[in-house]
Amino acid sequence: MESIALPASVTELMEALSELPGIGPKTASRLAFYLLRGHAELALKLADALHDLVEKTRFCSVCYNVTEEDPCPICSDEGRDHKTLCVVEEPLDLLAIERTGQYNGLYHVLHGALAPLDGIFAEDLRIKELEARVRAGGIEEIILATNPTSEGDYTASYLLTRLKPLGVRITRLGRGLPIGGDLEYADAMTLTRALEGRREMEG
Amino acid sequence: MGPMYVQTLSLRHFRTYARLELELPPAPVLLLGENAQGKTSLLEAIAYLAMGRSPLTTTERHLINWSAVEGGAPFAVVSADVAYRERRERIEIALQQTPTAGGERLGKRIRINGHPVRRADLAGHLNVVLFLPEDVRLVGGPPADRRRHLDDLLSQVSAEYVRALSRYRTALSRRNALLKHLRDEGGDTAQLLPLETALAEAGLFISLQRRACLHHLTRLADEYHRRITGGAWLRLHYRPSFDPLRPTEEAARQPPLFEALEDPPPREALLAAYRQRFEAMRTQEVTRGVTLIGPHRDEIRFIAEAVDLGTFGSRGQQRSAVLALHIAELAWLREMTGEAPLLLLDEVLAELDVARRHRLLDLIGSVEQTILATTDAEMFPAAFRRQALRLRVEGGIITPL
Ligand SMILES: [Zn+2]
Repeated sequence: MESIALPASVTELMEALSELPGIGPKTASRLAFYLLRGHAELALKLADALHDLVEKTRFCSVCYNVTEEDPCPICSDEGRDHKTLCVVEEPLDLLAIERTGQYNGLYHVLHGALAPLDGIFAEDLRIKELEARVRAGGIEEIILATNPTSEGDYTASYLLTRLKPLGVRITRLGRGLPIGGDLEYADAMTLTRALEGRREMEG
Repeated sequence: MGPMYVQTLSLRHFRTYARLELELPPAPVLLLGENAQGKTSLLEAIAYLAMGRSPLTTTERHLINWSAVEGGAPFAVVSADVAYRERRERIEIALQQTPTAGGERLGKRIRINGHPVRRADLAGHLNVVLFLPEDVRLVGGPPADRRRHLDDLLSQVSAEYVRALSRYRTALSRRNALLKHLRDEGGDTAQLLPLETALAEAGLFISLQRRACLHHLTRLADEYHRRITGGAWLRLHYRPSFDPLRPTEEAARQPPLFEALEDPPPREALLAAYRQRFEAMRTQEVTRGVTLIGPHRDEIRFIAEAVDLGTFGSRGQQRSAVLALHIAELAWLREMTGEAPLLLLDEVLAELDVARRHRLLDLIGSVEQTILATTDAEMFPAAFRRQALRLRVEGGIITPL
């Protein structure tokens, strides 16, 4: 995207934006010019937020959720049930389950799902860390709350083969979630029902 | 379902056609015209609605008439009103090119009576048997063509078969990607297990369906083959790359036992045999980085009078075998659905002698609607020409004669 008609500061922003998932060059230039044309306040707010994102947030060393303090507030909350672990693909899925207000256990964020065709394998996810957590003891039930997609199901089946020998109860969210959809878009009522209707997984 | 025929066909930007609106009768239809004017594309369009995929290409963007697209997102639409005894249905498939983050994407939307459906849901709505001159190459060509031909037939009647094929393909491409990764980078082989379970379940369903279908087809095809060749027997021999009904190597070398269908071993035992085979193959498959057993490696051979026609058959013998197969397909579809399918014939008569031509015309008389494409109307008896609707096809434009 080299251009003599545009200053480097604008083309650099456009290039950076177009590297984001779901944003093509057309959208990137529209966004850049939107910020440029009299939305200076928004641009600076974005800059601050991006700066804080990099400087202040990190992953919780226990559950791998995004956090500003380590361990995260959920992991360090003594009032929560430390015997139950809910395994999700992404931090936004965790957020969706928290919004139901019906779950009081802990979480483990995998940061993705197994997708061999996209080059995502077991070693690319926080699975080793999950196994170590379970081995450390104290956990009685693991709820596999990966998305109701074909990748999510594959990931859940794989986790079952890997965690079953450790002697914990392993359950999967109940039916009712829209097939092929993402957990983060499911409404609180549907998610609550899926949590209540969770059933033991068979190997 | 009643006798079925295509009442109207409309095309937008499909192959040679910019736009076509065509009304068709429940009778033979003769498409007349020179080559490359759109006769075959019209037959292809109807088969596309029946199968949910084109029998002529696996690259769907080739179906779009790019030169007819005037600005906006390129698209193609094929739709038909199909009449049954007491109702009518509208089947539509639309392709649309849309820009995405990673480049262009070809979207495919299928509708029945305006409701969006999946490809599997097309099963049982419109059934066709398509005769193409190049089908003679099925006999000696690559095994993938014979598998695809059989899959297209089964997909017309069984939504479950279409779903199993799609589950199988997903699991297969994942497993192959994983095998390559394990070979090149290493990793936990237990990641293979859920994919192997998926492959075993879908693969078992697919191979039992193929076996049952071929069992019927071979009986029907043999009957017609004897009639058109003056007594030579024909057998469609199914050679699964892994036969869960005969899981040991030695047993697999024997011809398939169709009697086994009557009383197949319990499903759990078959699935277990499948998984054991995967386990036994693991080292070899990781080394090769590809899945070596399953329906994607099945073979179907045409055997006549103990001779493998794919390897040793003359062109004439291969033609008779394919004709017998197509006629068997028609009979099979009729048995499965209780109704005659549509016949779509492309330049088939030209290749046949007088006796075989007459048999084919008898066949046309036994179905509700046949659409025939030809460069030479003289090939057909005058009486036949009189009762058929005759249409001239020229440069993607159709005019009644
Ligand atoms: Zn945490």
